[in-house]
Amino acid sequence: MSIVIQLRDISKKIRDETILKNINLSISKGEFISIIGPSGSGKSSLLYILGLLDIPSSGEVYVEGEKIEFTESSKIAHFRNLKFGFVFQFHYLIAEFSLLENVMVPMVKAGISREDAKEKAALLLQKLGLGGKEKRKPFQISGGEQQRVAIARALANDPILIIADEPTGNLDSKNTAIVMDIFCKLHMEGKTVIMVTHEIELTERTERIVKMLDGKIIEDLELSKKKC
Amino acid sequence: MNHIFFVTLKLLFERKRQTIVAIIGVSIGVGAFIAMASLMNGFQKYFIEQALDLNAHVTLKIKDEPDKERILRKVYGEGVSFSIFGAKPKELKDKIIDYKFLIKKFEKDPNIIGIAPHLTGQGIVRYGTVDKSATLVGIDPTLERRASVIDKFISNKKLDVLISDRDSIIIGKLLARDLGIDEMGKKVIITTPNGITHLFKVVDFFDSGITMLDQTRIYMNLKTLQTIFNKPNEVNEIIFRVKNVYQANEIAEKIKNETGYYTESWQKAFRNFLQLFKIQNYITYMIVFAILIVSAFGIFNIIMMTVLEKKRDIAILKALGYENKDIIRIFVFHGVTIGFLGALFGCLLGYGIQEFLASVNVSVEGLVRTKGFALDRDPLYFIYGVLFAFVFSTFAAFYPSYKASKLNPIDIFRSSA
Repeated sequence: MSIVIQLRDISKKIRDETILKNINLSISKGEFISIIGPSGSGKSSLLYILGLLDIPSSGEVYVEGEKIEFTESSKIAHFRNLKFGFVFQFHYLIAEFSLLENVMVPMVKAGISREDAKEKAALLLQKLGLGGKEKRKPFQISGGEQQRVAIARALANDPILIIADEPTGNLDSKNTAIVMDIFCKLHMEGKTVIMVTHEIELTERTERIVKMLDGKIIEDLELSKKKC
Repeated sequence: MNHIFFVTLKLLFERKRQTIVAIIGVSIGVGAFIAMASLMNGFQKYFIEQALDLNAHVTLKIKDEPDKERILRKVYGEGVSFSIFGAKPKELKDKIIDYKFLIKKFEKDPNIIGIAPHLTGQGIVRYGTVDKSATLVGIDPTLERRASVIDKFISNKKLDVLISDRDSIIIGKLLARDLGIDEMGKKVIITTPNGITHLFKVVDFFDSGITMLDQTRIYMNLKTLQTIFNKPNEVNEIIFRVKNVYQANEIAEKIKNETGYYTESWQKAFRNFLQLFKIQNYITYMIVFAILIVSAFGIFNIIMMTVLEKKRDIAILKALGYENKDIIRIFVFHGVTIGFLGALFGCLLGYGIQEFLASVNVSVEGLVRTKGFALDRDPLYFIYGVLFAFVFSTFAAFYPSYKASKLNPIDIFRSSA
């Protein structure tokens, strides 16, 4: 299977502290990976580098075989817009925008016309069980629904990779299950999903678990592919 | 740019209160600028137009400039410094020699369109028991018409009566009011400095709108004034009307060089007023500048606050692929839109104030007299207002926009977690 993203010998230093140490990681198309580890183990830092939000102190990042030059900020922004979809612990929806408009934000950046973006955003919200609520503002819906809108936004430009940083960290068990179901569904549809979590039980639904400790990958477990 | 408009317009219109406050700030600045500029310049233009219509563009006159030091310098040489105390004024050489020849000579100049001789002097005018001092101006009505637009200011257009009735005068409207003359045909007595008194009939009023002229001036036939001043065939002033009023300085200089007499252009004659207007304009523009600076700070504050409040949104926009330049454009466009809408409403406000001022029926009596305000409704003020608002709002928005673009999304995500 083709490799979507590859990290080669990645290290990250913040001031005198090395928070990632010689990380090597390849993620293939269609994988559903969870990254786990205790607080401060470097999970989120790794995810930010995987999402091209942060620049490594050393090492190389390849996206679909292409080496990323971190000096090319426009190209990196283009990658983040078209190839990656981000879901965070907090939904980060823009309060002034309706749910529909929040989903449209990455699409209009990609150059999609407003009419087409509106249509596509409505379909995505429908798909995630939010049909009929398109015109509502984020504060008018529940936390679980807000996170589903954030997932819809992440899917807006049909990315090759979904990057989720503790996506259920702020949700109750019912909404956690809903969000995990969505990720599983996306995985079944062939999307590559990387999820950082500290909830061990959630990793059971993924097919690969990357364990981190003190800035290093200490275990990379391939599980069976039937979980979802 | 679609994404920039999309995000900016949403932010602007969903944060109505802040946007409206900022727009009002800019509107007041632009409106005030338009209103003040048209009021100030209207007044100044009115004054200059009236002064130009009525007064000579160039005046040739006697100016005795006695060089009190000349004789002493002749005796003691140039290197000696001295002061003179108690020198008595000597008799003025108050006469232009061969004025008719001069008039004929300069009539041929293509830059000059009219020349008229004046004899001016002071006198006391009495009506009943009221005495007022006045400036007596002896004119040749036919030539005067070519050298000024005097007819424009004569209330009943009876300038020609000065030719047919040599004992008639045209009196300044305010002087007439001060004397208690409210209708034509009244008789007044004029006493000259040499003690001669003469009875005149008021045949018309002179109403230039310039208070200092309307309060002092009396026009009469040149010959009559020459007679009562005992100065037959003498004039002490020649006025010139020129084709291009802005060349008056050069023409005055040329006439001076060719005749040896003192000449004065209208710019020189009204130098004090022009200087005053300049200062007035500085003050006006400083006030307007201050208003615009305050509204620019309003925009700056609002965008800075928006940036601080929207740190998370900026972080997520960056995560979603928005570049630093997009973030700058979003917030600069934010400021520019406020500036544009502010300018638009400011123009309407300015127009409204102009309409209001134009409709106010108030008698203004100061340096000039007008019924209502003299307004200069030049569309340029609107263009300048819009330009100022645009420039100020763009500058005001730029720094917060730049700060927003420099936000590191990871810092925001980490601090939120």
